Amino acid sequence: MAERRPSTRAKASTAPTTTKPRPQLVAPLATSVVGSYSVPEWLERLKTDYYQRRISGAYLREIHEVAIKAAIKDQESAGVDIVSDGELRRDNDVDYLLARMPGVEIVQLAKAFYSDYYDAVVAHPIPDPEDGEGTPLGLLDDYQFTSQFTDHPVKFSFTGPFSLSRRVKNQAYAKDEDLVMAFARVLAKEAKALSEAGVRIIQIDEPFLAGYPEQVPLAVKAFNAVFDGIDHEKTVCAVHVCYGNRNARPLWEGHYDFLFPRILDANIDQLVLEFARKGYDDLELIKKHVAKNGLSLGLGVINVKSHDVETPEEIAARIRRALRVLPPERIMVNPDCGLRNLPSDIALAKLRALGEGTEIVRREVLGK
Amino acid sequence: MRAKTPVDLGAILSQVTAAARDSTVDLTRLRIVCDWVQYRQNFRNVVDVRHIIPFALQAKDGVDVYEMAVDMRRASTAEDLEAQVTQALNEAAAGEAANGHQYLEDWRPNSQSVIWDFNGLYWGSLGHWEEATGQEYEQALPGGESDARNSAAAREIIEGLFDVWDKLAERKALPEDLHVLELGVGNGNQAKVWLDEFVKIERERHTDYYRRLHYLMADYSAHVLERARENVKEHAARCSSLVMDARVPTQTLGFLRSKAFLIYISNVYDNLPTDEIVRIGGQTYLVEVRAYIPPKEAQELADMLKATPAEIPGLTHRLLQLGPELLANALSDRFPGGVGDAVAFWQKVWDSVRLEERYVAIEGLDTYMIADGVRGEVLRPILTAIGDVRMHISNGAAASFMDSLPLLHPFGQLLCQDIFVTDASAYERSFRGPGKYDGSVVNWVNGSLLAAIGRRNGYEVEYETFQHRGGSNIITLKARVQE
Repeated sequence: MAERRPSTRAKASTAPTTTKPRPQLVAPLATSVVGSYSVPEWLERLKTDYYQRRISGAYLREIHEVAIKAAIKDQESAGVDIVSDGELRRDNDVDYLLARMPGVEIVQLAKAFYSDYYDAVVAHPIPDPEDGEGTPLGLLDDYQFTSQFTDHPVKFSFTGPFSLSRRVKNQAYAKDEDLVMAFARVLAKEAKALSEAGVRIIQIDEPFLAGYPEQVPLAVKAFNAVFDGIDHEKTVCAVHVCYGNRNARPLWEGHYDFLFPRILDANIDQLVLEFARKGYDDLELIKKHVAKNGLSLGLGVINVKSHDVETPEEIAARIRRALRVLPPERIMVNPDCGLRNLPSDIALAKLRALGEGTEIVRREVLGK
Repeated sequence: MRAKTPVDLGAILSQVTAAARDSTVDLTRLRIVCDWVQYRQNFRNVVDVRHIIPFALQAKDGVDVYEMAVDMRRASTAEDLEAQVTQALNEAAAGEAANGHQYLEDWRPNSQSVIWDFNGLYWGSLGHWEEATGQEYEQALPGGESDARNSAAAREIIEGLFDVWDKLAERKALPEDLHVLELGVGNGNQAKVWLDEFVKIERERHTDYYRRLHYLMADYSAHVLERARENVKEHAARCSSLVMDARVPTQTLGFLRSKAFLIYISNVYDNLPTDEIVRIGGQTYLVEVRAYIPPKEAQELADMLKATPAEIPGLTHRLLQLGPELLANALSDRFPGGVGDAVAFWQKVWDSVRLEERYVAIEGLDTYMIADGVRGEVLRPILTAIGDVRMHISNGAAASFMDSLPLLHPFGQLLCQDIFVTDASAYERSFRGPGKYDGSVVNWVNGSLLAAIGRRNGYEVEYETFQHRGGSNIITLKARVQE
């Protein structure tokens, strides 16, 4: 394909340069998802049937596996470069981890609706994961299943220690910080195993952090604990912070200024942020704080709280705006957050728009 | 039976069964239900017979199945009950050719019936109706006023709101503009009480919230909205008003998404279109209706307008399209007394309208749409928990509720005062509508369903009895984001 000059709007060549080199594990303007994929109503019903003990765990496992294969196919066909398993096995962003977490007690395991939150209690200190063998949460199995069915690099996301701690009644630790760090140690063992198995991007999600801006230092400390020992030459360590997406509804309103400059103390490679729903004014924060740092940006270009499908041109315009702040090799293109609350046809259409819109800008900026 | 004078159920049922035994209907295919239709003005006869139409794959032998519903309240004083049962069964067996009904529509779900056009006409032309009756619509409410006017209730809500704002302000997370939305503002009495109380609390707590307050008043009726504006003129700088369909708030108020700290709805949901479903022996049916004017009343209306009974449906539709004022102008020969005659026709037609009903099997709950984005599947846990039942789906309320939630600020609250059935099993024990309330339609609202919809979308939904007036049927729905 003939090389094209960058558009005058994109101005990629004048974007600030990186001062802290980071390994280039993903292509410039690569596309990805944040994590979850559409959960159709029929799947919700089957999941609920499981939590009400109408179908067995074995049935549900098979159902999930079929759905995950379809989700991978959808992502690939839409032009997503780095795919996920759509988090389709998960009942919600928190309990999938808490229910497996050693030391977390959940008395009532049945649910009226599959995505309801459990009442979880930590009555005794969380066992040190290094005392046991293997990875207690079983996330490695999830990744290995996914990787069988795709040649694309895989992103693996899980909810971070801070947000997990917000959904637990802490009766074991005098300070909530100790519970956060105990969760971080368990997640660190999972992250290490995932990285060694070949996950390209490991992403910590912190959906509740925006509601607790004063807790950013603690969250950063926990990020560093989770990613401790990860080979950054092999795996991109990412953090996703949004304003909440449970049931397609924000939990908080505001701006990302609460993250800065503290988040820069995190030993991470990428920040994955929500922009499409709220607008791109916060790119100024990226320009001010991130441009001179080595971080890359997971740029939210799809509003996951709206059923209106973006056009490829809209996607392209959003990417061009970000290119005024960061060079293409430091931008990854993704939705604002997970797609779980969108109907399947709309989720797929949005991903296709994301793929096509990114392709437009790649041709302009990268000439390919 | 509930009545000041006890009703002898056995005596009524023996008359009903005797008449049914003497009819040509196969008694093995007839079920009988007893109702107590408490609304003096309603859409029912003392005895109504409903055809039960099975799902295609279940229609094996082609034998018709019927349900006969008897209003025990009126049956207890009916002198010709057996004759009415016989007539109803014979008419059902013979079909529409024999009954002399003047139909206003073809079969359809209740929510799409012409009765909702009458409802819309009432709110759109309320001034003419009130002029004819000599009373304001609020006087038709139980107790003569809406419970929303209660200042103690308003104070409780506002103080809760101030607490939330104080906390957000402490965290520098309070937006400059503080939005409150009232859906179904009526004549503005509630808004006035609320805003007056707001100012009092502001003085007590030395805050600066009134200056930042935007009180949005929305109503379907321009007439009552105008009255509301007059009522809150002292707070005019803080108030805006707009005509709006309560079922689709985001169409008009898209700018308010995630910004409303309080959405206040009083006596609106019971007045929005609803379907009904019936569960019989594990099979779910949709109730379809067909509005009609009975022969006697059709003749009286015809005499009134110097027309034939067959012309009444057409004239009724002209009324619903044009409203009484334009109708009187367009058909001055029929309405020589002008708009007053047209309103008299309207009131007489409304008084006469009845609903035929039939039950049509639903293939699967997932195939039935309750509202945009809400499939019938959400009903499954409710239906599984109870046996045979007939219940409202409250489609209009469900649509309004679903479409209002996105307007809430993450720390916002939706409060709705209405007549809710909060336990679905209560539908087994009592008639919950539809009835006629003045010129409008009224149904109790399926609170179990709204709670299920709210929870499915991440909101805590609670119901509590209205605390500030004794003996009230009013229940308050509170919805807020789940922790």
